[in-house]
Formats: sequence, C-alpha cells, structure tokens
Amino acid sequence: MKIKYILSSLLIIAVMLTLSVLAWMKAPGATSESERRPLAQFPEISVDTVLSGKFTKEFESYATDQFPFRDSFRTLKAISKFYIFRQNDNNDIYIHDGYAAKLESTISDASITNAVNKLNYLYKTYIEGKTSNVYLSIIPDKNTTLAGAGNYPSLDYNKLTESVVSGVPFAKYIDVFPLLHYTDYYKTDTHWSQEKIVDVAHAILDAMGAEKTSDYKEVTLDTDFYGVYYGQSSLPLPPDKITYLTNETIENCKVYNYEGTDGVLENIKPSKVYNMDKLNSKDPYEMFLSGAVNLMRIVNEKNTSGKKLIIFRDSYTSSLAPLMTEGYSEIILIDIRYLASHFIGAFVSPEEFENADVLFLYSALILNQSMSFK
Amino acid sequence: MLFSGMPFLFYFLPVVLIIYFIVPKCLKNTVLMLSSLIFYGWGEPKYLFLMIGSILLGYFLGMAIDKSKTAGLKKLFLSLSVISSVILLGFFKYADFFIYNFNAVTGLSIPLLKIALPIGISFYTFQILSYTIDVYRGDVPYQKNIINFATYVALFPQLIAGPIVRYVDVCRELEERTHSFEKFYLGIRRFAVGLSKKVLIANQMGEVCDVFRESADKSVLFFWVYALAFAIHVYFDFSGYSDMAIGLGKVFGFNFIENFNYPYISKSISEFWRRWHMSLGSWFRDYVYIPLGGNRVKTMRWLFNTFVVWMLTGLWHGAAWNFVVWGLIYAILLIGEKFFVRKLIGKNAIIAHIYTMLFVIIGFVVFNAPNMATAGQDLIGMFGLGGYALSSKATIYHLSSNAVIFILGIIGSTPLPKKLHSKLSESKLQGLISVIEPVAVVCLLLVCTAYLVDGSYNPFLYFRF
Repeated sequence: MKIKYILSSLLIIAVMLTLSVLAWMKAPGATSESERRPLAQFPEISVDTVLSGKFTKEFESYATDQFPFRDSFRTLKAISKFYIFRQNDNNDIYIHDGYAAKLESTISDASITNAVNKLNYLYKTYIEGKTSNVYLSIIPDKNTTLAGAGNYPSLDYNKLTESVVSGVPFAKYIDVFPLLHYTDYYKTDTHWSQEKIVDVAHAILDAMGAEKTSDYKEVTLDTDFYGVYYGQSSLPLPPDKITYLTNETIENCKVYNYEGTDGVLENIKPSKVYNMDKLNSKDPYEMFLSGAVNLMRIVNEKNTSGKKLIIFRDSYTSSLAPLMTEGYSEIILIDIRYLASHFIGAFVSPEEFENADVLFLYSALILNQSMSFK
Repeated sequence: MLFSGMPFLFYFLPVVLIIYFIVPKCLKNTVLMLSSLIFYGWGEPKYLFLMIGSILLGYFLGMAIDKSKTAGLKKLFLSLSVISSVILLGFFKYADFFIYNFNAVTGLSIPLLKIALPIGISFYTFQILSYTIDVYRGDVPYQKNIINFATYVALFPQLIAGPIVRYVDVCRELEERTHSFEKFYLGIRRFAVGLSKKVLIANQMGEVCDVFRESADKSVLFFWVYALAFAIHVYFDFSGYSDMAIGLGKVFGFNFIENFNYPYISKSISEFWRRWHMSLGSWFRDYVYIPLGGNRVKTMRWLFNTFVVWMLTGLWHGAAWNFVVWGLIYAILLIGEKFFVRKLIGKNAIIAHIYTMLFVIIGFVVFNAPNMATAGQDLIGMFGLGGYALSSKATIYHLSSNAVIFILGIIGSTPLPKKLHSKLSESKLQGLISVIEPVAVVCLLLVCTAYLVDGSYNPFLYFRF
C-alpha cells in the first residue's frame, strides 16, 4: 500500500514540477500567433507596483500568457469543452457545418445609437447639400444564416436594420441580406470570401446606377489562411484558402494609402489593390487593400468620367471595394475607427463630395460594437 | 492569490512545498507562516499589516486571558478581544452599509468611506475570536509560541475562504504533526478534486449566471436555469475551495474539519444547515446561539435567539440587505419547521427534498442578487409573473450547451461518486483503480490547467466574505 502512495505521489510531482520548472525557466514569447495578440511580459518590480497590487495583477497575466505549451493547453480545453462536456461553444466561438462563428445575440442599443449619431454627424458635416446620392448597406455577418441552421442564438437583425435605417433617413437602403449565406464566408474567419460576393457588388452598383462587370480572373493562393476564429476557438480546424478576383482594371488601379504618411497625397507612393506582402502577416485577409487603414484612395485612370465613390466602411469593404472600381474614376475609403470624423475634412475636400456617390457600408457586427467610431 | 491561478499552482506552491519538506521540523511552522504572509500579501499588500496587527492582538490577549488571576480580568481581556474584532469587522466590512442606511433614514448625506474589504477578514477574525474564547473558557491553553499562533491564523490553505478552523482542532498539530506519502497523495488528490469542482463545474455555471444577467432574451425557464446554475455554482465554488484547503492541509500534515456534507441531499432546512458551511454553522452555534441560551429557553426567547443568529449569519456573508433577508428567510423556515412544516410534509422523503431544495434555491436567488429590487424581479420572473415567455432561444441554447455540466453538477452534489469510488476500490478492480486513480488525478490537474490558461472567468465567490 505504501508503495502505491509513493508511486502516485511521484507521478504527480514529476508532472507538476516539470511544468513548474518550465514556467519558471521559459523565455517569454512576444506574441501569440493563434490569438493575434501581444503576450503579457514580466512586470516591473518596484515598491510602488508591489504595494499598489499592480505587480501581482500583471504577474498573473504574465504567468497565464507565458505558460509553457500554452497553445496545446488551449486546444486541450477546447477539446474538453466540445467533446467531453458537449458544450456548444468555446470562448463564445461555435462551429456548425465546419464554419466557425462568434456568438452574439444581444443588440447594444447604445452602440446602435452611437453609430446612427456618427452617420448623422458625417452627413451634416460633409455631405448635406453636396450630393443626394447617399446610400446605406448593412453587411450581414455569418451568424445571420449560420446561427439559425444550428439553433444558436443570434442578433435580431430585423430590429438592428430597422433601427439604423430609420436613423439615417437621408440614405437609400440597399438590402444585401438575401444575397448572402454562411458558405459565402471563410470557415475560420469573420469575413466574406471575395469570389462569393460579386452579386453583392452588383446589387450595390445597380442601386447606385454605376457600371459593373463580371469579367474577373479567379486566383486561389497557396497560403494557408487561419482566420480570427481559428485562434479563438483553439480547435485544430483546417485552414481556409484565399481566392481573389482580378482583371485589367483592378491590376492598373493605383492605391494611395494614408496610413503612416504625412497626409499629403502628392507624397504618397501608390501601391496595388492586392498587397501580397500581407500574406505573410498575422492576418492574410489584409492582402485586400492592406487591411485596416484610416483613409485610402483607389484611383482608376481607365475611367475618365470623373465619377467618385466615397465609402465610409469597415474591414468587409476591403474585399468588396475592388469589385466596384470599374464604374468610378476614384473610390475614397474612410474608416472612422481609425480617422476621427471631425478630421476627415483635412484630407478630403468639400468639393470631392460634390455629386459623388456616398455609401455607408458597415457590417452588423460593427454597428453593434460602434464605440470605436471616432 | 487564488488556488485556481497560475501563480499559485506553478510558482508559489511548488517552491513552498520544496522548502517546507527540506527544512528541519523546527523550521516548518516558520516556513508556513512566512509563505502564508506572502500568500496574503500577494493579493492584499496593504492589508498585510492589518492581519499582522490582528495576529499580535489575538496573541497577546490570549496570553493575557490565560495569565490573569481573576475572573474579572479574564473577562476584561476577552471583552477587549471581542470588541476589537467587532470594531475591525464593523469598520472594514459594515461601515459603509451602516452609513448608507443611516443616510437613507435620516436624510443626511454622510460620505461613504469606500473601504475595500480586506480579503478573508471574516474568516481570520472568527478564528482569532474562537481562540480567545476557548482560552477564556479554559478549553485550550494559550499558545506561547507566536510563530505557531501566527501560523494558525495565517495558514494559507484555509486563510481566505475557510473552513473556519478552530484553534482547539489544530493546536496539537501546530506543535506536532506527521507527514507521509500517503498524506501527500491523498491531500493532492483532494486538492485536484476541489480544483476540478471549481474550474470545470463552478466556473461554467458562473458563466451561465453572467449570461443570464446580461441576456435580453430571458424567459421563465431561463430564470429557473439561472437559479439552478447558481445553486450548483455556489456549492461547487465553495466546497471546491474547502476541498482544496483540506487537501493542502493534509499535505502539510494538518487535519482540517470538513465544511460540507452533501447539503443538497437534505430533507429539511435544519438538515441543510447541518451539512452546509459546517464550520460557520458550528461557530455561530457554539459562540453565539448557545451563549444566548440556545433552545433551552422560553419560546419567545428562542425565537429571538434564532432571529439574531440568522441575521448575523446573513450579515456575515455580506454588508447588504439581501444577505440579511437571506439569513432571515432561514430563521423563518427553521421556526416553521419546528412548529408545523415537518407535520405538513410528513415522512415523504421526495416531498421533503423538493421543499428543501425549492427554498434553498430561492434563498440563493436572493443571496446572489445585487440588490433587493433585482432579487424581487428574479423571484417574480421565476414564478411566471414578470410577463416573460415560458422559454426562449437563448434559454434552450444555454440549457442544452451546459446540459452535461448541469448533470455532473447534480450528480456531483450527491454521495454517489464517492460511493462508486469506494465500491470500486474495494472490488476486484482494486488493483486497476490504484493505477488509474493517480493518472486520473494528473489528467484532472492538466485539464484544469488548460482551462486556467485559456480562461478569463475565475472569481471565487467566498472571497467577498
């Protein structure tokens, strides 16, 4: 009997002590690739930080973030939750029919009000009296069709849409909900796949009376795309592949990216619509118009009509906007999460709004989390 | 520091265990005391001095009580101990509650003190009080060695959430205790079970409660799902912590008293309180209820005693009216049981169990509400008077998503798993069990680690007491 306790104790000591020694000795990592975030670092030790409790609080984050085999442990947790305890989600990420999505079922009235107020501010400040071609379209997220298919709770999209549409009476609403199914999105990411949204681009262009095309070459990249839900779910999901659409117009467009510049257009070196360097970044989806950018101009020199499209947008537009280039001489993309609304006039002149098509194009998810609008 | 946190599990505990088992016997209590002070100071550096002050006060007053030649002096020092403890608790825990209510009654606006509650103050104050009272009664001699006394009060396994270990129960072990691989293994096994109860069951149920609170898609069924989830959450959270404390105590050679004995199988409220948080119940019985006369008094006096004890029990859990009401609900139920409920229910075990659990669950709904208004809304919602639909999509989702956890929680609240383990351990499979069991313990520890590495929800409910 005694030997049983000795061996049992030694087994536990061996496992826990090994992990403990590794935790003490492991060199801290800088970032978590799977979670796409920086990892907590060893906190500063001083009398102040110790007495205020700051050190201990930050050490707890450090100990959790830098734990050895962190990703393997996260996967063990996800497997336990999904397959042992039969829970339907892990970290609010659920998987149905091979598609991962985030549970979101509560409409934030405060966020919707904030979004509506911001759009009204933009209209009154920059648009009113300059053009009547103002449009609104709300991009449904994957949950719209995926949640219902798997009996997961989701937002009341009708209520959300009605709230926003009624709040911006100056904009003509373009309904793209019927055009999208969850299979039109990446399996591991929140975004839609570009090759599946040509009909969405057409619906919007038709509503705005702009020229459209279906003449695209489809290119599928070899790069494995592990979307944002891959890391959050912690499950070993198969990667997506990114397919992009291109044609002569898109290839010849010049993109002026204001991010990290002095804001003077003449000083910005033009780049391409598809930024292949981003395929090696944490988020390969950023290959579409270089990802999160405060202000950007896509200039199509082939179109000499002088027609402009100004889109107030989020990241979904990055893969949609290239499909709208045909009918415009220039598309201006403004993301008010990164560019303060009151500051837009410094980069986009009032004349540019004259007779332009203006499109407010936001995903339902962003409208429900609009507190980042500046 | 949390037992269910990476700093404790992989930084603090291994180092303390190594040092503790390396140093000679005469230094073991010093190691325990110093590590306990670090453990407490980790989370509450500024209140470390408060605890050290309480220890010193308890030590010297215990000595003074014992050394006093006259009964009057003994009583004086005991009174000092009781008054200082009441002042300490009153100031840090109840001052704002009283100021708030005083303002409400008088219309004054005396500013609140907004003092953060020192963690574990209710537990260690009660431990010091039990020591000075026991010394006064002559049940135990005073502790001459201040390190031993400080070790008793600050002992980290039970410092911040109990069980409320009385000095009389551990005074011998403070001086002389044994260690063995058997104690080590059984202690770690108990710790792993407690950690699993906390991380795998309680935390999951806690998340259901949080989701319910934020949901815009409530229903009558969701109110009941919430109520059941909280009942499981509070039991597995607190009993899990007690298991971890008792397990760690065993590793260090102590035998702490049990704190829970399957309270959810009770068939009456009085039985429930003999099985729930037993160390607190017996503390109030021995140091408040019996000194007030207990039940060997006239009916009116007994009613008074009962209300006082249960109001204090409620208040001990928190400085808010819902805790007072929660305590008083139990006073009324216990009085009802004494006079007529038992006769009404008869000997039907099923009805008795349903009656008990119904009121326990209702009680916990009041207990967990942020205020009395919410408690009222929750109860109204549970009984279909809030205008809610019978069910909703969110209800079905969270019920089905957590069905296995609910079932494990319900089964785990009964002695069934323990009985099954005992039967298997005594059966022909004994050999196999002795191999599987330590592997299962390791697996549980690893799965809990996985949850802690990836989890953000990890509060301990009883930390606020």
